[in-house]
Amino acid sequence: MADFIRNPVVTLPDRNPAPHFCEQELAFTEEEKTKIARWVSQYPTPDGAVMWTLWLAQEKFGFLPPEVLRLVGEELGIPYAQVYGVATFYTQYYKQKKGVCVLDVCTCFSCQFTGGYDLLHYLEEKLGIHAGETTADGCFTLQEVECLGACGSAPMLQVSNGPFVHCVTRARADALIDALKAGRMPEFASVTLPQDEDELGGNRRTDVAFCERYATLPIAKHTR
Amino acid sequence: MASVTIDGRTYEFEGRPRLLQFCLDHGIEIPHFCYHPSMSVPANCRQCLIDVGALMRNRATGALERDEDGAPIIRYMPKLQTSCSHTLSDGQVIHTRRTSQKVAQAQRDNLEFLLINHPLDCPICDQAGMCPLQIQAYKYGPEGSRFEFKKTHKPKKVKLGPRVVLDAERCINCTRCTRFTDEISKSHQLTIIERGVKNYPMTPPGMTFDEPYSMNVIDLCPVGALTSADFRFQARIWEMSSAPSITTTNAKGSNCNYWVRDNLVLRVTPRENPAVNEFWLPDEDRMAYRRFNEDRPEGPQVRTRGAFHAASWEDACAYAARLLRGAGKRALFLASAHAPVEDNYLLIRLAAAVGGRVAGFIEHMEPGHGDGWLRTDDRAPNSEGCRRLGLAPVGAEMLREEIASGAVGALYVLDDDPVGAGLVRSEDLSDIPVILHHYHTTNETLLSADVALPSATVAETIGTYVNEDGRAQRVVPAKAVRGAHRTLMMQMGLSRADRHGTPFDRWHNESNLINCKPGWEVLPMVARAAGCDFMDRGPRKVMREVADTFEAFAGATYKVMGLGGHSLPPR
Repeated sequence: MADFIRNPVVTLPDRNPAPHFCEQELAFTEEEKTKIARWVSQYPTPDGAVMWTLWLAQEKFGFLPPEVLRLVGEELGIPYAQVYGVATFYTQYYKQKKGVCVLDVCTCFSCQFTGGYDLLHYLEEKLGIHAGETTADGCFTLQEVECLGACGSAPMLQVSNGPFVHCVTRARADALIDALKAGRMPEFASVTLPQDEDELGGNRRTDVAFCERYATLPIAKHTR
Repeated sequence: MASVTIDGRTYEFEGRPRLLQFCLDHGIEIPHFCYHPSMSVPANCRQCLIDVGALMRNRATGALERDEDGAPIIRYMPKLQTSCSHTLSDGQVIHTRRTSQKVAQAQRDNLEFLLINHPLDCPICDQAGMCPLQIQAYKYGPEGSRFEFKKTHKPKKVKLGPRVVLDAERCINCTRCTRFTDEISKSHQLTIIERGVKNYPMTPPGMTFDEPYSMNVIDLCPVGALTSADFRFQARIWEMSSAPSITTTNAKGSNCNYWVRDNLVLRVTPRENPAVNEFWLPDEDRMAYRRFNEDRPEGPQVRTRGAFHAASWEDACAYAARLLRGAGKRALFLASAHAPVEDNYLLIRLAAAVGGRVAGFIEHMEPGHGDGWLRTDDRAPNSEGCRRLGLAPVGAEMLREEIASGAVGALYVLDDDPVGAGLVRSEDLSDIPVILHHYHTTNETLLSADVALPSATVAETIGTYVNEDGRAQRVVPAKAVRGAHRTLMMQMGLSRADRHGTPFDRWHNESNLINCKPGWEVLPMVARAAGCDFMDRGPRKVMREVADTFEAFAGATYKVMGLGGHSLPPR
């Protein structure tokens, strides 16, 4: 966003891109079709299921080029233009081909204060790419994102629209990259909010062993 | 009856009207952008805010609760409401910006937000002068902007389709265009893409915005984001005059305005008529503006010794009359579905006066062209009018046989092209004198014509057309022709400068005047030259005579037709 404020230019997307998938590849299996039909039946109109179906398509094809959006529209019986509008609205739907792992580094307010940009630049250097780019081997895509809603454990990043990695230090970032290269996704970490700790019997976050900073309540001394 | 109080005045209402439409119907102005009466109500421009309250009542007794002074207590909604989506109910108290400072401030702030990323390029914008955003920013907006950062730059001059160009920076995301393609034309070709500060309407990749009604989004657009590929940067709004008229590319007779500058029709926009076209106009009607400007003849011509020579109107009419007298009973007349009722009626009168015969009119059917909405299979505007005058379509074989047998001594063609329509061949007409009223120099019958009389098109004449549903509609001239003074011809559509300017600051000039005459002026000239007793009385009286003579035209006088047309009794 910082780049956009400095240079607020919206570019026109390619209006006639070459297709990435051939006709044979562009089809849902019977199993997927059953799933989609079930989602459709949950809503008064079929367009209610568009986000579920896009998600399914992204998991199946890896990303959502126009021909996949067209397929989703046809499957749901809703206009292709509408599917395209929904897909472009959400940044979590990948319109471009991404790496196997997408690292979304939060650089919004809290993470920025606790070193979000340091983390981003560290990863940029480590992977040899700029934010928004994919490594040459197609393993990693590094992205700068806005608030992911985990300010309590800033700085943080998210892997491929999936698990959050909290309280990222350089060492943890190195470990994460190694693990991802070895094919191990980070585990989902359950987080206890400070105000709930009394009720829940202390900090029960699952990654508490890694989070030294988080051992005490985040209340400044001078407020006491 | 249920009633509401708007700005201290009580209005009665029936049913469940929406507040914005109710206010517009009662002449209360509420600024708005995204609302359009024929489409769904998304309430996304947030401009039509109002303050709504209801009288407090005691739950148990139902009695009005009153304060110490005995005045009823009004409980207002915690936030301002959008009037477009607010359904009226009995007893509500409503404050618009006229009585509520809060509403006025909210609308002012909202306009400041809308203008944050809007380029201030009104001086070069096509919409300037009739732009809802410009007008409302002047009337209700803040005096300046507090936004001191760079404005967002979005794609400019994007060709969405063959006829529509997008300037995404100007867009305020009211979604009128996407709702039009989703709800009215159902082509589903447009969508709003991206989000937040980056969003704008666009076609999805691999799709062009080429539906046959695409240009309606240009009129719908409350800013200058969607512009016509043809009209873009051609003229400012205030330089043009507009005249209420109808379109003539099909038999629907959609109501329109012709916009004219320097005697050139520059664009065609729809005119609201719930009985015919509501708010819409097909692209073919709009693109037909070129027909009024291009390939127009330079004046009457007469063929002598095999070549066309320019002639005066008097000479040309006299020559036509001589040809008609020579043919006598063998003179054959072809009426026209392009010409107004008045001209066709006068042609019938002329045929009777010189002893000739009207064969019928030339039909212009194009099966498969119609779509059951505003486009029809019939590509001529007045076939129904001809039928109501007792004329039938001419058969090609019949006409060819008649010509081959020598039964035709002269052919008089009104505003049409029998050769181009494939009715006769040029060779068939080589021995027969042909008198032709024509609009364009591309008319193929011109090669065989002996007298060519340029005819005034729908944008230059006064007349009546009957659409396929039997609705008689009159047209007024939008542009001047040579020999007709702009302001003396009282029916002429006037521009702002015509009405309010001095003779020195009129925008129009005398260029591009076409030397043509309406049929109701030429036909009596020919008749008088042929020695017939034929009064030249002007179209208004001719139409009154038609209405009195033909039952199928009962009541269709100019006064009754007005600007909205008159539904004729079924044939």
